[in-house]
This record gives sequence, C-alpha cells and structure tokens, in this order.
Amino acid sequence: MATRAHFEKSCEIGVFSKLTNTYCLTAIGASENFYSVFESELAETIPVIHTSLAGCRIIGTLCVGNRHGLIVPSSATDQELQHIRNCLPDAVKVQRVEERLSALGNVVACNDYVALVHPDLDVETEEIIADTLRVEVFRQTIAGNVIVGNYCAFNNAGGLVHPRTNTNDLDELSSLLQVPLAAGTVNRGSDAIGAGLVVNDWCAFCGMDTTSTELSVIESIFKISGAQPSAITGHLRDTLVDT
Amino acid sequence: MAATTCYNFKKTTVVPSAKDFVDIILSKTQRKTPTVVHKHYQIGRIRQFYMRKVKFTQQNCHDRLSQILNDFPKLDEVHPFYADLMNILYDKNHYKLALGQLNTAMHLIDNVAKDYVRLLKYGDSLYRCKQLKKAALGRMCTILKRQNQSLQYLEQVRQHLARLPTIDPNTRTILICGFPNVGKSSFINKITRADVEVQPYAFTTKSLFVGHMDYKYLRWQVVDTPGILDHSLEQRNAIEMQAIAALAHLRAAVLYIMDISGQCGHSIEEQIGLFRSLQPLFSKKPILIALNKIDIIGVTDLSDDVKTQLQSLTTEGIDLLPMSTVTEEGLFDVKKEACERLLAQRIEVKLKSRRVNDIINRVHVATPVQRDDKDRPVFIPDSVKEKKAIDDSISKKKLMRDYEEELGDDYILDLKREYDLKNEDEKYDIVPEIYEGKNIADFIDPEIMEKLESLEREEELREAAGIYDDEIDEDDDEYTEIKKKADLIRSKKKLLALKNREKKSRNKPTMPRRKIQATRSRLDKFQNMDEMESMDTSTEANAVSRKRQSLSKEIMQRKRKASRSVTRSQSRPRDESAFANPSQKARARILTKKSQKKIRFGALKGESDRAIPDLKPKHLYSGKRKQGKTSRR
Repeated sequence: MATRAHFEKSCEIGVFSKLTNTYCLTAIGASENFYSVFESELAETIPVIHTSLAGCRIIGTLCVGNRHGLIVPSSATDQELQHIRNCLPDAVKVQRVEERLSALGNVVACNDYVALVHPDLDVETEEIIADTLRVEVFRQTIAGNVIVGNYCAFNNAGGLVHPRTNTNDLDELSSLLQVPLAAGTVNRGSDAIGAGLVVNDWCAFCGMDTTSTELSVIESIFKISGAQPSAITGHLRDTLVDT
Repeated sequence: MAATTCYNFKKTTVVPSAKDFVDIILSKTQRKTPTVVHKHYQIGRIRQFYMRKVKFTQQNCHDRLSQILNDFPKLDEVHPFYADLMNILYDKNHYKLALGQLNTAMHLIDNVAKDYVRLLKYGDSLYRCKQLKKAALGRMCTILKRQNQSLQYLEQVRQHLARLPTIDPNTRTILICGFPNVGKSSFINKITRADVEVQPYAFTTKSLFVGHMDYKYLRWQVVDTPGILDHSLEQRNAIEMQAIAALAHLRAAVLYIMDISGQCGHSIEEQIGLFRSLQPLFSKKPILIALNKIDIIGVTDLSDDVKTQLQSLTTEGIDLLPMSTVTEEGLFDVKKEACERLLAQRIEVKLKSRRVNDIINRVHVATPVQRDDKDRPVFIPDSVKEKKAIDDSISKKKLMRDYEEELGDDYILDLKREYDLKNEDEKYDIVPEIYEGKNIADFIDPEIMEKLESLEREEELREAAGIYDDEIDEDDDEYTEIKKKADLIRSKKKLLALKNREKKSRNKPTMPRRKIQATRSRLDKFQNMDEMESMDTSTEANAVSRKRQSLSKEIMQRKRKASRSVTRSQSRPRDESAFANPSQKARARILTKKSQKKIRFGALKGESDRAIPDLKPKHLYSGKRKQGKTSRR
C-alpha cells in the first residue's frame, strides 16, 4: 500500500524518516501524527522507532540503511547511537562513520543488494557501506546529479529516479541495480524522489502533495500491493503523456 | 505538467467613480505632502513646496490610472476565447474606447502637471504659487471628472469579469452544447460537482458554467454552455454567442446533446439541423452525440423516419450514444467515450510535437540485463503476507496518536518504550551519560557481558572452594585488646588536635614586634630575656639573637633617658606614630593628597557622596536651542 503522509506540513517525508525491510526510523515531531502513519502500517511487522541524529530531525537525510544494517554520520551522539542500538533487532548492525559528506542519506541510495554512492565518497566509507549493509557499491550520478540519495529511491523490486533521466541512463542504471526502473516525480511534480518518498518491499509512503497518477506509478514500479511495472507502459501511459 | 497561463480576473483592483477618484487623489495629496508654508520663507522654498504638491498629485493619478490600464486584460494578448467572450459580453469597441480614454486622460494629466511646474518656477510670491497649484490640481480633477463614464463602465466590466468562471483554454475540456432545455445542465450536474440551475424552461443557463471531474487520474474541465437556437450567426443573441465562442476556441471534446423525446419543444429534425449548421465549428474536434431522455422514449421506439435520419449521422462516422440524466443510464459511457477520444487526440498531437523527448522517458520502464547469477529476491516477512491475506478487517491496534489525543497535554513521548532488549525489565534502567567526569559511552566494551559472566563464574568457583569461609573471629582476646588501644589512641589524637587548634586561634591582630610600644612590663621581660640569652645561645639562630641584642641595647638607652627626666612625655606625635621614618611619612602624605584629589575637585563630602545638587539646572532647560546649544548654553 502506498500511503500519503506529511511531517508538520512538509511533504518531504524522506527527509524525516528512513524505511527498510527490518526497521523504520521516524523523526521526533511535535505530535505523534507522523509516527502513527508508519505505526499503523508497520508496527506489527517491524519496529518503528523515534529517533534524532545529531540532535536534528532530518534523520532520513543523515543516515543510510537497509535490512542488514544502519550507518549514521559521526555527528550522531553516543546517546542516540545507544538508543538506536537498543531499539533495533540484534541482526541489524549499527555503524558510525567519519565522512566528510555527512548527509549519508543524500549521498547514498541502496536496497538490500546494491548501493549507488556519490562519486566523491571516501574509500573507507565505501568499504564500511559494503561491509555493514552487505551491498555492492557503485559510484554513480543520476541525471547529472551527484546526490544520488536525493534523486532516486529503490527497493528490491524496482526503482524510481529523477524525471530527467534519459532512457539510456535508465537502462544502464537498471542493469547496475538489477531492478526495473522508471523516471518519475513525487509531490506534484517534485524531482526530489528520495526526499519525497520512502519505500520498502511491501510498503511505500510519499508526501501529501503526491497526485494519484504519481501514486499509481509508485505502486506499480515498486510492485506494491500486487501492481506490476507493466502498468506504466499500459493503462497509465496515456495519463502520463498528457500531464 | 505544462505551465499554462491561468485566466483569473478576480484580482483586478476596484475602479472608483470619478468623484471618488478625485477625493482619493486630493486627500492623499493633503495627507502625504507638507502642509505648512509661510510667506516670509525664501521664494525657492515656497516654489518647491507647491511644485511638490503638483508633482505628487500627478504621480498619484498616473499610478492609479496605469494600474487600471494594466489590470484589465488586453484583448490582443488574452487567449482568443477570452477575447471573443469579452467582445460578446462587453463589446470590444466600447471596452477599448474606455481604456483608450483613460490612457489619454493619464497623458493629459502628465502634461498639465509639466506645464504648471514650469510656471511655478516663475511664481514670485506665495500667493501666486498657491494660485498656480490650485489651478493645476483643478485642471487635473476636471480631466478625471470627464472620465466618469469610462470609469463606471470599467467598474461594471470588472465586476462581471470577476464572476466569470475560470476556464483554462488549454486543458482537457468537455464542451456540452445543444438546443435549450435538452438536459445539458442536468448532465454536468450529474458528472461533476457543479451546481448549475436546472429549470424546465428555455435559457435557464445564461452564461458559461464550469465543473471538474476525474477520469484516468486526470483532471477534466466540463463546460456547460447556454442553449443555441438554429438561426444565422447575425441573429444570435449574446447568450447564444457565448456558447459559439466556446465552441470556436476551446480545444475540447464536443458533446452534442439531443432530446429524442422532443420535450424541449424542438423536433429531432430541428436538432439535427442545428447540428449540421454548427458542424463547421466541430472540425478537428472529437464529436459525440448523446441521445438524452431515453427514460421517456427508448431509441428503439422512435419512428422509422427519425431512425433513418439518425442512421445518416452514423454513416458519417459520428457516434450516437443513448443516455438518461434522470436514471443515469448510459451517462458514464458517454463521459468515458468523450474523455477517451479527447485523450487519444491530445496524445497524438503531443507525440508529434517537439516536446516528445521530454516525456518519452516517463513512459519507459527500464528492465535490467542480467549481469551475474546472483539471486536478489524480494524480502517480505511472512507476517505481511498473512496480514494481506486476512485483510484489515480486524479491529485496529491503538496507535500513539490515539494515546496522545487521550492524554492531551499530559502525554510524554516515551522513547524507551520501543527498546528491544533481551531482558525486558532492564528497559527503564537509568544509565547516566556522564559518570565521574567520564563519558560512559567511551568505556562501553562490546564483550562486557562475557567478561562479567566469566568473573561471576570465577567467583562462584572461589566460593565453592571455600576461600571466604575462614572469617576473622571477633571474640578473640587479642583483637579486643588491640581495639581498645586503638580507641584510646584515636581519642587522644582528637584531644591533642583540639588543644592545638585552641592555641592557634587568637582574636586580635598580630603586630610586628618592632612596632609594639615599649612598656615597662615588656622591658622587664626583655631584660630577663637578655639574661636568658646569654645563658643559652645554642637554641636560637645567631642572626636573630644579634638583632635582639641591638634592640635591647636601644631599649636600655631609652630606659636610662627616662630615668633621667620624668617631667616630659616620651610619646611621639600621633601623625608620626605609625611611620618608621620621616620619608615614609612624606610619601604617605603625597598618597593621601592624591586619593583626596577627586573628592576635593568635585566638592564632595567624602568617597560615598553621590549627590547631584541640581538635577535640572535652569540654564539648560530654558531659552532657545540653536545650533550646538543642546548640552551647553
């Protein structure tokens, strides 16, 4: 199920949350509305955790993770780290990295098998990502943008990238990630896919402004609730062309 | 999404009538320019005062008029649909004339102001300048008053424009047309949320109406037009012409509604006739005919004559769809068909255009080429699959939001609730962040639990081995003896310490010995000491003893002197008594003077004197303040 949500009127929910197949992190807001959106969908299957990183609410931008692990920047405090460690299941590794590009959520995009990273990322960080998250790491850009984490989102079934990615790049990226890819938007035409959308293998959450067309593209490319990517070239095609 | 100009005339500013206009302008001049001038001012200043008034008034008029001119849509610049609609509703010539006149008035006012400012430069007295200003403002107001009619007309146009529906000429549109009373408004009311008045008489709808609906995730605009009668273009009235304008200019799917029951007062032949006469307007547009009111008479029940006429339309490739707005039969087929056709046409156009490259990647799904044999399966926990199977018919768990709502202000976010620990009751254990100045986190050892366990195991082994069994027997004689002695020692120590402390504490100032006045008793003491000193020299350091010897010598001399005469007092003057020598005294005097300097200079009573004798000296608060006389007069 793809669900619309907003964090204190902001539609960029990817900035304030991190969703993986084994856990979900949400920022600590003024009320529990945002948390409860995730809680109602996920609480029975995976832990949904309140946390801050470096005292900030932009946890989705600051950390990166998948089923196997979670990597947080060095600015995260010891207490936050302890809190996350206490909340997460033991199978999930938590690792802190010293990295100049400290907004890890912006510079890394990953699923459970592959990660795309910013071309300037440290070699050490790259190794830590590969070890902790158990992924193959590729240095890539998306439609000329280096902050790959902001301009794409993918799970183990499919991915959505920046709307200006041309078809050749799409094919290339798709072969790299080994999942079907589509170019699209969220939040009524926003190209910041990673910021406007969080997704795991059975669930997706996107900003409140997302149109129904965008929502159906998201559901079909991520294969959520039984939808198939073929819908984009099928019955959604007319709608996509005429918007 | 293509950026389309939005035609919304609701923001146009109000156009005041000529009288109001003049009032606004003049009162603003009065409020915003200086009002006081005197005849003894320099003439340059007087001229400048009146010139400013004239220029200000002119600028205001200019701004207001140009705003009106800018706010009103220009017929050459708006979409032809709106240009045509405005021509029909407000008469293009009249509209242009009114705006043109305002433009001329604006220029006239500018010229008047320019002329009078020039004249004001030669004004030689306050009176003349004032007369010139009066004349200038008067002429400007007269020019404005002459525009009364144009202003009133434009205000009416503005009010009407603001009430026009916002029709986007470029978006997906379905246009409904037909004879009056065939069910156009009923149709739009059914398929959109628009609330158009429906009445059983002709020309209930007198203007265009817009409703919106969703189809295929897209927004569709449905335009309801007033009914059209079948006569030549010249004979059509303004109401019908609005429908014609919409038909001519909107890129839309046209839905021609026919009343097959004939209840509208026009036979089917007439309706087909109107369709034929309107057909030039339908070119290049998807067109559909809806046969309405089939709840009254079915399509099969129509007479053969009518059937053949309808058949002829079908042969031309125009589809006829039966529907009923009352029973909603066939209504959504009509909607779907119209939408599909328009969408197909729009996509065809778009794919032929140059912008195709921008959208082609949006409908492309890249499929991966297998690069290795690794399997990358999707990871969905079984519980999710089960949940899907059961569906969410089960009552929902209480969410944090519910708790928050329930508790209101008392709600506190409990982060520890989420802890997933091996030992549940450790959840709420308090762990300090900093302990004895050390960050606890720095000392966290990943293997601490194992180490603790091994230690505990060792301890258990020791206990088992009986290392702790032979404890000290407290009843032992030797032990009590030692304890008693220890107690004695401790109490004695305490007593000694107290005694010492007592000795040390003195409740009077310590004075250097050489400053102490020599008294008889002390001198005697010293004498004794001398004797004592001569007896033992080994106890004290040589230097000290030598000093003391010299001191005692001096005292002895003094003693001798004193014994010679007792009539005179030996005490020194009091102001010298504190000093060792005269030079010290002189220095002290200098220091005293220095410390008193401030007090004397300020005529203060002492250090603590903070009095200000006169808070408001008269001379500072009276009289004129001219240049530089604020602080000192």
